[in-house]
Amino acid sequence: MEETAKSIVLGLCSGGIYALLAVSYVVIYKSTRVFPFSQAAVLIIGAYVMWYCLIVWHLPIWLGFLMTCGAGVLLGMAVERAFMRPLVGQPILAPIVVTLCLMLLLRGVGILMGKGNIEGFGESFLPVGAWKIGFLHLPKIQVYGFILCGILIIALMLFYAKTRAGLGMRVVHEDHVVAQNLGVNVKRIFQYSWIISCVIAVVAGMLLGNIQGVGLSLDLNGLIAIAAVLFGGLESFAGAIIAGLAIGILQMLTIAYIAPLLPGETTMMVPFVFLLLILFIKPYGLFGLVRIERL
Amino acid sequence: MPDITKKREQRYSYGLTLLRERIEKKRPLTNPKPNERKVLLRAENISIAFGKLQALNNVNVEVKEGEILAIIGPNGAGKTCLLNVMSGFYRAQQGNVFLEERRITHSSSHKIAELGLCRTFQNIALYTGLSAIDNIIAGRHPHIGYNFLTGMIYFPWANKEEAYQRAIAEDIIDFLELEHVRGSVVGMLAYGLRKRVELGRALALEPRILLLDEPMAGMNLDEKEDMARFIIDINEFLKIPIVLIEHDMGVVMDIADRIVVLDFGNKIAEGSPEEIKGNPKVIAAYLGAG
Amino acid sequence: MNINRPCGTFDRNYFQAKELYRTPLRKTLLTLLIIGMYLLPLTMGDYGLSLLIPICAFTIGMLGLQIITGYCGQISLGHAAFMGVGMYTVGILQRHFGFNFWMCLPLAGLIPMFLGMMFGIPALRIKGLYLAFATLAAHFVIVYVISNWRSVTNGTEGMWMKRPDILFGIDFKSDRNYYFLVLTITIVMTYLATNLARTKLGRSFVAVRDNDIAAEVMGINIAYTKIMAFGIGCFYAGIAGALGAAYYEYVNIAWFRLEDSIWYLGFLVVGGFGSIFGAIAGAVVWKVLDEATTLVTPLAETFLGGAAFYASAAFALVFYSLIIVIFLVFEPRGIAHRWEIIKRSYRLHPFPY
Repeated sequence: MEETAKSIVLGLCSGGIYALLAVSYVVIYKSTRVFPFSQAAVLIIGAYVMWYCLIVWHLPIWLGFLMTCGAGVLLGMAVERAFMRPLVGQPILAPIVVTLCLMLLLRGVGILMGKGNIEGFGESFLPVGAWKIGFLHLPKIQVYGFILCGILIIALMLFYAKTRAGLGMRVVHEDHVVAQNLGVNVKRIFQYSWIISCVIAVVAGMLLGNIQGVGLSLDLNGLIAIAAVLFGGLESFAGAIIAGLAIGILQMLTIAYIAPLLPGETTMMVPFVFLLLILFIKPYGLFGLVRIERL
Repeated sequence: MPDITKKREQRYSYGLTLLRERIEKKRPLTNPKPNERKVLLRAENISIAFGKLQALNNVNVEVKEGEILAIIGPNGAGKTCLLNVMSGFYRAQQGNVFLEERRITHSSSHKIAELGLCRTFQNIALYTGLSAIDNIIAGRHPHIGYNFLTGMIYFPWANKEEAYQRAIAEDIIDFLELEHVRGSVVGMLAYGLRKRVELGRALALEPRILLLDEPMAGMNLDEKEDMARFIIDINEFLKIPIVLIEHDMGVVMDIADRIVVLDFGNKIAEGSPEEIKGNPKVIAAYLGAG
Repeated sequence: MNINRPCGTFDRNYFQAKELYRTPLRKTLLTLLIIGMYLLPLTMGDYGLSLLIPICAFTIGMLGLQIITGYCGQISLGHAAFMGVGMYTVGILQRHFGFNFWMCLPLAGLIPMFLGMMFGIPALRIKGLYLAFATLAAHFVIVYVISNWRSVTNGTEGMWMKRPDILFGIDFKSDRNYYFLVLTITIVMTYLATNLARTKLGRSFVAVRDNDIAAEVMGINIAYTKIMAFGIGCFYAGIAGALGAAYYEYVNIAWFRLEDSIWYLGFLVVGGFGSIFGAIAGAVVWKVLDEATTLVTPLAETFLGGAAFYASAAFALVFYSLIIVIFLVFEPRGIAHRWEIIKRSYRLHPFPY
C-alpha cells in the first residue's frame, strides 16, 4: 500500500513532464494536422543548450533559462519556415517523413553539440534533496519540475482561451481554408504553434536533463509521450495532460511491481505495450474526436 | 429540354454487349409492364440523426425492377443521406434496407457492393492516381477471379483474366465515349469526363441497381443530354433500375418513371411526374409556403 | 497515344497492352541487364560484393516498404524491426533447432508477416496515422524481447549464423556464390512485386491509398487490403533481413534501430513512391551514401582530430536527413519520377511535351 502510494505520487511528478511533452505534440497536431515526431529530439537540444549556458559558459540560472527559451523560439521558427512551409499542398505522407528526418537531424546536431558524451549538470539548477511527508519521499527536483510544468500548461491554456492569437489557433484547428477566408493569418498561426511547441519541449528537455542527465537517450521520453498523446486523444489538451500524468504513474508502478518480474529495461517498454492496448480498446483515446467523413 | 422519351426504342450508344452477356448469365433480362414490376430495393422506416439534426425521419422508399426512380427535394433534404444509408456508408439508427428481400442494413459497404448495389458520388470520388481505364478495371474488383498469389506469380490464366477484364472495361468505355481519355490520369480530366468515368466505374461492378447522386450537376445542356442518354440506355439495355438524385426538373420529369420528394428528412410525396408536378406540398417545399 | 510505347509500336491486343517490355529491343536490354548483374562479380573483388549483396538485401526490404507505403499509403515505422525478426528467426532456428538455411528462409518471411499482422490489425481498422504509432510500439517491444530473452536470442551479444548448405554442388561459403543466390532471390522478389502492382490486389492497394471511402463502397474490403499490404511488406522485410544477416554470418540487435526504419522511409521518398524502380533506386542511393559516409570518416578525423567517431555518427544523421528533406521539397516524387521525365523528354525530342 505504501509502495503504491509512493509510486503514484512520484508518478504524478514525473508525469507532469510527460504531460508537458504530450501538450507540445498536441499543440502542433491541433493546428496543422501533422504529427511532429521531431519534438522528441528537441528535448536533447534543450538539455544541451541549458548545459552549455550553465556549465560551459557559467551563466546565472535565469539567464540560462531565458537563453534556452530563446533557442526554442528560434528553433521553432526555423523548423516551420525551412521544413514545413515548403511542403504545403503535398500529401500527408510528406510532412510526416520530414518530421521523422528532423528528429534524426536534431539528434545529429545534439551529438555534435555534446560530442556524444553524457553530461551532468553538476549541481542541478533546481534545489536538490527531498522532502519527507509521512512515508513519502519527494525529491525536490521532481516537485519543482512538476510545478514548472503546471505553470507552463496553465499559461498555455490562458493563451488559448483569452488572447486573440489563441482564438486564431482554435479556429485554424477546425478548418484551415475557412480560417483563412475569415482573415486569420494561417501561416502565422502555424509559426506560433511550432514556436510554442518547441519552447515547451525545450523546457521539458531542461528538466529531464536535470533528472536523467544530458545525453542522447532523452528522446526516448519523447517517444513515450507519444503513448500519452494517443491515450488522451490526439486533439485534446485535457486528454494530453491527464494521459501524461497517467503514463508517469504507470512508469512508477512498473518500476515498483513489474520490473522485479521481468529482465531488462521494462520502463521503456511498458508504455508501448500500453499504447498497443489502447489501440485495441479505445483507439481514439479518452477525449479524441472521431471524424465523420462525408462523401 | 427536347423530349427524348420518343426515341426510347432506338439505341444511340455502342458497347455494353459484354456487360449484358455477363448480366444475362446471372438473371434473365425481362421487360415487365409498369404495374407488374416487383420491388427490388426497399428502405423501410429509415431514421438517422446526427446529434440533434434529424437527417431522415421515417422514410420509406421502394424501387421496382427496371424503373428509373428520381429522388428530389430542396438542399439539405437528406437525399444523399438516404443513398449513404442504402449503400451502407451510414448506419441508420432505425429502419431496415432490403435488397431482393435480403436485409442489408448492417452489412459492410463492400459486401453490399458485391450484392449489386452500386453508386456514384456527388463530389466525385475517383482514384486520383489511376488512369480512367484503371479506375474502371478497379471497379471490377469483386468480379475478378484470381487470388493474390496467382496474381503475384502471374500465371497465364491470370493474364487471360486480366485481358478479359480489360475487354469489359473497354466495352464500358465504348459506351461512355471515353476512348480519347482512357489513358489519362483522372486527376487531370475535366469535371464532366470525371463524372462519366465515375459512372463507368459503377457500371463495372455489374450492378443490380444503380444509385446516381447528381450525375448531371455542373453540366451544360449537351453534356446533360449525353448523360441522360447514358442513363436511359443503361436502364433499357441492361434492365438495371436506377435511383437518381437530381435538381434539374426538366431532366427529372423527362426520364423518371416515378418520383419521390423529400423535404427536411421527410417523404412528402411520391408518384408519377404528372402527379408530382401539381402536388401542392411539393410546390410549397420548393417555393416556400404562403 | 501511349506514352509508354516507343514511336510506331502499337498494341494490337490486350495481352500486348499488358506487357511491360514490349519491343524486342527492350526485352533484349532487360536480358542483357540481368546477365550483366550476374557477371558483375567477375570484374570486382570482395569489396564490390560487400556493396552489392547489401544492396540486394536493401532492395528487397525497400520493395516491402514500397508495397506498404508507396502502394497502399500506410506509414510503417517498424520495418527495420521486422527485418530484425527475420534475421533472428533464421538464427534461432539454426541454433536451437538445427534447421538448415533453406527451411529457415520461408519462415524468415512468414514469421515477421504474422507478427506484423498481429501488431498491425488494431491499427489498420481505423484511418489515420495509427499504423505509424503501432509499428513504433512494435519496434520497442521487439527490441526489448530480443535483448532480454537471453536463453533464446543470446541477448545483446548477437548470434552467429550459418550460410546456406551446399545445394546442387554450389558452396555458398564463398561470397561470389552467395551473391548469385541473393541476386536470384532479389530478381524473383522484384518480379513478384511488379506483378502484384499490376493485378487485382495491387490495384486495390492504390485504390485504398487514393480514396478509401470510395473503395469500400465500390466493393473493396479495405481492412483486408491494408492487412495484406502490411503482411506482404513485412514478408519482404523478413526475407531481406535473413539474406543480409547470412552474408555477415552474424546477427545483432544493434543493426536495426529506430533510425533505420526512418531511413527506409526517407530513402523510399528519395527513390520515389509508387514504383518498383523507385524502391530499387532508393536502396542503391542508401547503400552508396553509407559507403560514402564510411569513406569520409577518416577525413573527418583529420579535421576534428581525436575521437571523432561521434562525428561520423552525426554526419550520417545530419547528411541523410538533409538529403531526404531536400528531395521532399524539390522533387517529392523522387528519382523515379525524374527518370520518367528524362525518358519522356528523350522520346518526345525535339518537342517539349
